[in-house]
Amino acid sequence: MTRACESHDTIKNNYLIMKRLILPGVLAISLYACQKTVHLHLDNAAPQIVIQGEVTDDTTGPYTVRVNRSVPFYAENSFPAVSGASIKISDNEGHVDSLVETAPGIYTTQGLKGKAGNTYALSVLSQDTLYTAVSTMPQAVKLDSISFNHEKIFGDKSIYAIPNFQDPPGISNYYQFVEYQNDKLLNKDIFVFDDRLSDGKYISRTLRNDSSYLQPYDWLEVRMYCIDKPVFDYFDQLDQSGGRGGNNTASPANPTSNISNGALGYFSAHTVRSIKLQVY
Amino acid sequence: MRLNSVFSLCVCLFPMFVSAQARHTVSGTIRDKSSGETLIGASIVFLETPNVSAISNSYGFYSISAIPGSYTMVVSFSGYGNDTINVHLQKDTSISITLENAAKQLQEAVVTAGRNNNVTKPLMGVQKLSINEIKDLPVLFGEKDILKTLQLLPGVQSAGDGNSGFFVRGGNTDQNLILLDEATVYNPSHLLGFFSTFNSDAIKDVTLYKGATPAEYGGRLSSVLDVKMNDGNNKEYHASGGIGLISSRLNIEGPLEKDKSSFIVSARRTYADVFLKLSKDSNTNQNSLYFYDINAKANYRLGDKDHIYFSGYFGKDKLGFGNTFGIDYGNATGTLRWNHIFSSRMFSNTSLIYSKYDYDVKINSGNNNIGITSFIKDLHFKEDLQYYANANNKINFGLDVINHTTSPGVISASETSSFNPLTLQSKHALESAAYVSHDLTVSSAISINYGLRAGAFMVMGPGDFYTYDKEGNVLDTATYSSGKVVKSYFNLEPRFSMNYKLTTSSSIKLAYTRTTQNLHLLSNSTSANPTDVWIPSSNNVKPEIADQVSAGYYRNFKDNQYEFSSEVYYRNMQNQIDYKNGAQLIANENVESQIVFGKGRAYGWELFVKKKYGKLNGWISYTLSRTERQFTEINSGRYFPANQDRTHNLSVVGIYKINKKWTLSADFTYYSGNAVTWPSGKYEVNGQIAFLYTERNAYRMPSYNRLDIGATLQGKKTKKFDSNWNFSIYNLYGRENPYSITFEQDPDDPSKTRALQYALFRWVPSITYNFKF
Repeated sequence: MTRACESHDTIKNNYLIMKRLILPGVLAISLYACQKTVHLHLDNAAPQIVIQGEVTDDTTGPYTVRVNRSVPFYAENSFPAVSGASIKISDNEGHVDSLVETAPGIYTTQGLKGKAGNTYALSVLSQDTLYTAVSTMPQAVKLDSISFNHEKIFGDKSIYAIPNFQDPPGISNYYQFVEYQNDKLLNKDIFVFDDRLSDGKYISRTLRNDSSYLQPYDWLEVRMYCIDKPVFDYFDQLDQSGGRGGNNTASPANPTSNISNGALGYFSAHTVRSIKLQVY
Repeated sequence: MRLNSVFSLCVCLFPMFVSAQARHTVSGTIRDKSSGETLIGASIVFLETPNVSAISNSYGFYSISAIPGSYTMVVSFSGYGNDTINVHLQKDTSISITLENAAKQLQEAVVTAGRNNNVTKPLMGVQKLSINEIKDLPVLFGEKDILKTLQLLPGVQSAGDGNSGFFVRGGNTDQNLILLDEATVYNPSHLLGFFSTFNSDAIKDVTLYKGATPAEYGGRLSSVLDVKMNDGNNKEYHASGGIGLISSRLNIEGPLEKDKSSFIVSARRTYADVFLKLSKDSNTNQNSLYFYDINAKANYRLGDKDHIYFSGYFGKDKLGFGNTFGIDYGNATGTLRWNHIFSSRMFSNTSLIYSKYDYDVKINSGNNNIGITSFIKDLHFKEDLQYYANANNKINFGLDVINHTTSPGVISASETSSFNPLTLQSKHALESAAYVSHDLTVSSAISINYGLRAGAFMVMGPGDFYTYDKEGNVLDTATYSSGKVVKSYFNLEPRFSMNYKLTTSSSIKLAYTRTTQNLHLLSNSTSANPTDVWIPSSNNVKPEIADQVSAGYYRNFKDNQYEFSSEVYYRNMQNQIDYKNGAQLIANENVESQIVFGKGRAYGWELFVKKKYGKLNGWISYTLSRTERQFTEINSGRYFPANQDRTHNLSVVGIYKINKKWTLSADFTYYSGNAVTWPSGKYEVNGQIAFLYTERNAYRMPSYNRLDIGATLQGKKTKKFDSNWNFSIYNLYGRENPYSITFEQDPDDPSKTRALQYALFRWVPSITYNFKF
């Protein structure tokens, strides 16, 4: 609701604290604050194509590209698959992989092996429209360990994971973290950050879950991706510009996609390093 | 262009120097009888020649000239009893005048509303507030707040429920020049906007210029809010204060040397955090959430011709979460002024002004000990001269030099932290201006005010200055050393207003004003954000320019008991600022690459009727307006409604004095919803719902309305002690006015999404005890 600081890398990590401090502050001041569900008259935008594709350095493959469409705000959360698209991923070493639709709207690679440093080009031909994207897989950064941060905020006891790793100096790095709690993806939180203010440092940054909370003895898997700048921008904007519905900005907008021709979604070539451990 | 203007100015000034007949001048200072406070804006008129009149200036000084003879001089001031003095004008004469506050007078009948200056003077689009006027109004948390009262006037809009931020005629909050004893207040709010920085105990006079801004003011596009502090009682010592549910105030004033000098100190602190301290939870009770501020002023009269004033303000907000996170922020200002009366016709004020806003963020999480600080600081020299040539001519002229320094961000980090220490380049700029304006009474029906402000803004070294390509990549870097001029902008700002008197109680006015702005607040959030950063114009950021034309009709009824006005305005704005999608505004050396530039336009119609005295008084204000912006990058380059665009704005304010003990008050506010950006669809990213936006600001928030009531119970008044109780209920009928609307997956039915509305203030009662002895 009221967030005192936005879009600040450094603060972003501590953004939840702010939210948890300032929200009760405002509520304390306002005495009778309340929330309720309202029905709004929202336009129904024409369905738009959404493409999500990944190539990783996990050579066991295959890699997946998913294609579906947007729906009106008050429709069910089920997104119609786009079948029959012709999809190719090629790399700068001359490999071209034609993907096969293995389930409606889900297309998988046929033997392509991702490699750090390579650039990958995606092409999706659907209903006579060609959508293209390019992504370069950065060099991997080693994830050393995961530790935990115990915090008590307004009576809530929270445990957050802290990935620890050495940022390579002299180059721009972009990181994305994904958590699995007891093998279930925690997909509500977006954790992306860059080394703009941390170049060459040994980084320990708290992953502040906003929606799901870790419990002692849970099994937690933390995956660290090294992503390229356009993919970082995409997820950062998705997180910051209100693509997720919060109104921390006065002017929410769709995140800038690296896919051409007005498609929503992203194409990311990234490395994967992961650690699985029990929460303590 | 410039030569031409100078020439036309000379032509206009010429007639006043050839006026043949010798005239003499009466001049002096007008003060409150019991406190010695100077009175700003009091009227002086010679009954025998009703066209000869004067108004006391910001320091209570007046000067009025006429041909030799005997005159009856009447001095009046709103809320005060009139004073009549017989003057035998044979030579220049000095007369100091004291008026008695109506509240202290025995008969209430003699109170008049002062003269009909609203009808006779060319200045338009001006709103004045006296603390007397606002003291009985119901307010949120029982804290009198001039900024919230201003929002009840035409052309002024609230930035949100309970918020002290305001928009004037379609301008943004950063396009208001807010001055406290001439010092710029960069962040006029406390506690995320719920309180203003102005402690009304310390305030004497509040004037808002929203249309024809006088040439002596410059630097912001849409308005000037000129707030003047009390000088302090120079006759006897007094203490006053108030105890409320959420804050308390204390005010001490008195003479340093009787009738010659005085001081005043006002302080205020909120204690919302005391409730947090009561918590048993060890983390919660370490949280802090409060602000305090102190206003202090002293003045000393050095003989008849010289007067020195020193005033200062210091305020601090502290928000903290245990020792994990904290932010302190606040303004500090200081003003040293020297009034000098060169002659009965020439008044001078010289000011040295200091102003600073800073914030300090501390983060302490695991290994990460980080501090972030930022400030903007001004050193300001100002010289204003007023020349009262004769009854029909008055000239104001002067100059302004401001040295701006901004430090956009310094990050300190411990060795073990995940962050590198970083110091963003400080930015330096020199802003100077010279101005002249002329009040000219052409005939008994026509009076005009015209002037010119010539401004120069120089971006100064040292520093690296970048140029960017369309994508925001650095194309080129130029390094400048200290004292080198990087870029200069010159702007001429003509100001013109004219009054045509139709009858003794009605007039029409016309005005044209150009204003420019060279400091821009980077803010993209929905609420007042203490970490928003001011950036100066630069090689990439051009000055904002606004041209406004306005016209109005003014009519007073029943011996000036009722004032009516109707004004229309149109404002065109160039070089307006917006941000690229996902802009990184903070701690970014290349913040200027995150900005896009466009145009703006605003137009509207304002109606205002006010009953100024009597048992029942108050006002009704209505504004019909539109504010639009145009950026190539947004909505395919079409004009779109600005965030603050609201079609209708209505306020009704009433104060009813039942008897000597009880005063009742009420205010009602209605406004249309702001323009907002809402989703027009949704899609899925990594199994999570994302919302689809099609157009900026294509939707409207629901409309807003609220009724507040208040009552003041006057305690027994003695010579030594005066007290009252103030009760109020904010949002009496408890309407859930939407503060914000957010969108999310429905937690009760994950197959759906929902819109969630937050409302803040419902039935907020408050009680305040005020005392004075």
